[in-house]
Amino acid sequence: MIGLQEGGHRHELRTPAGHPVPKGEPILELHSLRKNYGAVEALKPASMTFLSGEVHAIVGENGAGKSTLIKLLTGVITRTSGEILWCGEPVQLATPNEAISRGINAVHQEVVLCPHLSVAANMFLGDEMNRRGLMRKRAMTDAAQGVLDDLGFNLPASAVLGSLTIGQQQLVATARAAMRGTQFLIFDEPTAYLTRQESEQLFRLIRRLQGEGVTIVYISHRLEEVFELADRVSVLRDGTHVGTRAIGETNEAELIALMINRTIEQIYHKEHFTAGDTLVETRGLTGPGFADVSLTVRAGEIVGLYGLIGAGRSEFALGLYGRHRLSAGEVFWQGRKVEIDSERKAMELGIALAPESRRDQGLCLNLPIGLNINLPVFRKLTRGLTINRAEEAANADRQIRDLKIKTPSRRVLASAMSGGNQQKIVIGKWLSHGAKLFIFDEPTVGVDVGTKAEIYRLFARLLEKGAGIILISSYLPEVYELSDRLHVFRQGRLVGSHGYRTASHEEVLAQAIGA
Amino acid sequence: MSVETVESSTGPTPRKGISILFGLTLLGLLLFLWLLLGFATNSFWTPNNISNLLRQGAMTAILAVGQTFVIITAGIDLSVGAVVGFTSVIVAWLLAAGVPLWLALIATLAIGVLIGAFHAFGIVRMGLPAFIITLATLTSLRGIGLLITNGSTISITNEAFTNFSRADFLGVPSLFWMVIVVAVPAYIFLHLSRFGRYLFAVGSNAEAARLSGVNVNRTTYLAYILSSTCAAFVGLLLASRIGIGNATQAEGWELQAIASSVIGGTSLFGAVGSVHGPLLGAFILATINNGANLLNVNSFWQRIITGLLIIVIVYFDQLRRRGER
Repeated sequence: MIGLQEGGHRHELRTPAGHPVPKGEPILELHSLRKNYGAVEALKPASMTFLSGEVHAIVGENGAGKSTLIKLLTGVITRTSGEILWCGEPVQLATPNEAISRGINAVHQEVVLCPHLSVAANMFLGDEMNRRGLMRKRAMTDAAQGVLDDLGFNLPASAVLGSLTIGQQQLVATARAAMRGTQFLIFDEPTAYLTRQESEQLFRLIRRLQGEGVTIVYISHRLEEVFELADRVSVLRDGTHVGTRAIGETNEAELIALMINRTIEQIYHKEHFTAGDTLVETRGLTGPGFADVSLTVRAGEIVGLYGLIGAGRSEFALGLYGRHRLSAGEVFWQGRKVEIDSERKAMELGIALAPESRRDQGLCLNLPIGLNINLPVFRKLTRGLTINRAEEAANADRQIRDLKIKTPSRRVLASAMSGGNQQKIVIGKWLSHGAKLFIFDEPTVGVDVGTKAEIYRLFARLLEKGAGIILISSYLPEVYELSDRLHVFRQGRLVGSHGYRTASHEEVLAQAIGA
Repeated sequence: MSVETVESSTGPTPRKGISILFGLTLLGLLLFLWLLLGFATNSFWTPNNISNLLRQGAMTAILAVGQTFVIITAGIDLSVGAVVGFTSVIVAWLLAAGVPLWLALIATLAIGVLIGAFHAFGIVRMGLPAFIITLATLTSLRGIGLLITNGSTISITNEAFTNFSRADFLGVPSLFWMVIVVAVPAYIFLHLSRFGRYLFAVGSNAEAARLSGVNVNRTTYLAYILSSTCAAFVGLLLASRIGIGNATQAEGWELQAIASSVIGGTSLFGAVGSVHGPLLGAFILATINNGANLLNVNSFWQRIITGLLIIVIVYFDQLRRRGER
């Protein structure tokens, strides 16, 4: 634990409850821990042991269950079944407060602090130093500066948090957790936004905390960091814990194999069509979040874009759709050079976008299903001044019927639907619009297996009618099995292109991670 | 899949039915108040008082309809009271300068359009919150109006203009007819045209609307222009009614309009609202004020009752909505 030198007396922060566990003994044990969201098994019964004082890395693809595990351990969600032993005793971990009071803390990828307060105020948030009810601002700033200097972070404690880079904020969040008498600290992809130098500062801090007996759980996509830091590594895949290895007894190839070697139980419905004319071609397309992307989509083919979250795939899609201004490059639509400067323009050309986030981009949740489905086509439904209500109803009902959206009526609010049905509404929007190029961004996230299969069959129907599809997914088997052409993105750039099943999973994943 | 079936079969009742039901509840409340006042006072059901009530409610009702368009887009228009006062000055000024009546009316309404366009410009181009830009015009417009009149009032001598508000048509005050003149096109616009749908979509999720090809900026312009134009129209009616142009008139009417809209079921979070709701809301408020006057209730109490009523009605509306989810 890091003590604070402050005005001669030592400001010791609270010691967590629980018994000290000797180094190398189990501090936290999970027995058949399970979490279901409705019918979806986010975490299948997992049993793991974390040893006191170790750095334990957890790796896995997006959606493998890592964040579910963190949320269970930090009391954000409660388990469906199973047992958690803390220092040998069963615990509830029902609330974040309980987790914190036992000394379990997490540093999240996205910093959850107050950007308008100073660094010092954030470090002491909820645990301010007071004298007769008044905050001792100077003392806190000095104390916080002491900690920051001590850790070798070159940061001013009086600065406003929001003025720092995300990486620096991450360091502040870590320092904050370190001050709070943490025994068990979880890092969730902490280096995603950090520069190399900031990462090294963070690693120094982690080693130092480890030296003081803190158990570290380190979640990352970057395998080289895992090998640099961890003592042991556990692999999650599809909500299952598939194995734990001592770091000296494994290598990158084995970990990648464990991460993706899944039993392909889902059937990826794939029909092959002869590719027709080129629908769209981009040359050196550059915009916010992506650079120099050149690719082609032809009628009757699925072009898959794979990469980690934040690799620039969605940004590329939004750029092509006219949502963001392009800074360089050219777009050719059916052989003709076009300037797509608005969403409307993209729609008129025949591009449809089912965006990444249903909640933020796809749906008007507190409006009826029917209005959502008809939103892109109200212009077509208008006769004179008013909407033709019969056609409006007929179009909504037809999509509800064709897509098997499970609702008693088109008047039900979109928010009342499950993830799979919401996705169908987003897709249904575009089916009566007469689009030729469909961009599906993460179409099966949070969607149950049955609906997934329906969506894949719908792809085939669209291709059959001569449409082209851009499929964006972070789930490798999906893009791998469905794409006629598979492009891999990393850090905003297209770093690899493959034909239908020409590359191995390992090769594709290695390109995406940059290993 | 089975889970989804269960979810959807217990899904909410179709919302349209509920909206009508809520409208009927408000109508019931209004009728109940009228009956109650009929029993409690001798003077309520006199032709004079009813005419008075309809005149009182009319102007708030028109403001509330305009305000509702803005609130549906999850915005707010705090300037409408000031616009009423300001445009009353404009029309009086134009008439005093010898401008023909028809031109003065059109010019005043055009000023309303410009004010609304300015609000939307501030929101869309300058990125200001609706609350701020309309608060700014609220105070500035009163200032400009006072500058024009040099702090006093401008009398209107045009009798054709001032007689209008006192006239009846088919036994109903002409001011109340104006509510119908506004409400019918407003209903067609909001509930039957695609632009109405766009207002709801922008208020619910502007990004989703944009990605569905809705021109969000244009929709914003439309909403604020409609609100300000309704306010300018009310400015004309007020000038006609009191026979003067005065920049300090209609103080606090923006809050009356917002209250009417909210009582009428409009959600301040956007995407929920109608045309008939704010109309009923405005007349409920007018009835309470009228009844309180007749019953000799201290006017300070009227304000308190209005406040309590807003809390109660909106609370029950929230309960209903929560049940809907």
